[in-house]
Amino acid sequence: MTGEQDNEFQQYQALDLKIAKALQIDVPELKMPELPEIDSSGVTSLPQRKWTSKPVWFAFAATVVLAISISVRMSGVFETHDSLADAILTHIDHEQGALRVTDVAVSDDRLARAVPASLAVYDRGEFLITYAQPCVINGKSVPHLVVQGQHGPVTILLMPDEKVAQATPINGENVKGVILPVGDGSIAIVGGRDELLGPIEKNVVNSVTWTI
Amino acid sequence: MTSSSGQGKRRQRFDSLVTVFYQDMYRFAAWLSRDKAVAEDVVQEALLRAWNSLDSLRDDGAAKQWLLTIVRRENARYFERRRLETVDIDNLSATQAALLAESPNEELDDLRTAIFGLDDDYREPLVLQVLMGYSTNEIAEMMGLKQGAVLTRLHRARHKLKDCVEKE
Repeated sequence: MTGEQDNEFQQYQALDLKIAKALQIDVPELKMPELPEIDSSGVTSLPQRKWTSKPVWFAFAATVVLAISISVRMSGVFETHDSLADAILTHIDHEQGALRVTDVAVSDDRLARAVPASLAVYDRGEFLITYAQPCVINGKSVPHLVVQGQHGPVTILLMPDEKVAQATPINGENVKGVILPVGDGSIAIVGGRDELLGPIEKNVVNSVTWTI
Repeated sequence: MTSSSGQGKRRQRFDSLVTVFYQDMYRFAAWLSRDKAVAEDVVQEALLRAWNSLDSLRDDGAAKQWLLTIVRRENARYFERRRLETVDIDNLSATQAALLAESPNEELDDLRTAIFGLDDDYREPLVLQVLMGYSTNEIAEMMGLKQGAVLTRLHRARHKLKDCVEKE
């Protein structure tokens, strides 16, 4: 990128940051409308089917229950945890696919979708970001990023709505990390046990500006 | 599963999604309609419609786009029903002016007024990209446009706003 292009890009980013702030108008308290009970009385039951055998029926029902259970667990919407660190470890565990070792960076579009300007501005800087996805943790919208560290993938969770009083360690079976207080929110950084997280922590904290 | 426990789980799912995305729904409605009262009505209608068709949402990961699409349609329906004319920026109604006054910020007021004054065709893709984080491809799909048209509109919108920022 030439100096002129670099300057233009910075101007463009500064303008977008200003526009994002301008668009953040106050939101009134949610007033839930009266929700009608969903009527299923008009549904006509099909004649009862005679199941060939109990084991077949049971296996089918068990598969459906298992699929629903996995899908609900994956969504993270209904999960409750003892601590934020537990919620983070569970989420990382559910999204193992994010922890690929690769040199293919996500596109700017993908990154912008994962980190909407309504939450934060994230300067990718020198990081190789290989995963970016908007996720839900503790019922809140959380951009989930993965960067490649010296010893493997490192998870970064931007949590503008999760305030922590002080740096909180995270200890999983094969991972370690920290939740850092950043303004009115926090950022979790989690990597393998032999990863040097210090330099990544410093860079990440300097790369994020909350806009919420 | 009994009918009442099914209703309870359905309600729990709905509440969880609305809690996460309500702010986006309101802000999108507000910037589309440029009217606080209309935005509140549109969001109420959108919530009802979302509740009625919740079972059609198979993947909660797609909930944001699903809810914003409902808001977009409800906004169009609202203006169709009321046959409201496009807002003239020089002639704001009391509730329209109230929206701008709602979150006063000396540094941003001029820019907000300039965004308010953009044509609907420019303002909507800008809100979807900058506030909601959608790619130009996704915006094109939501608005039923070609990607090139979205890029042109975004470029023009930014160009107009850049003039406003430089004047400050």
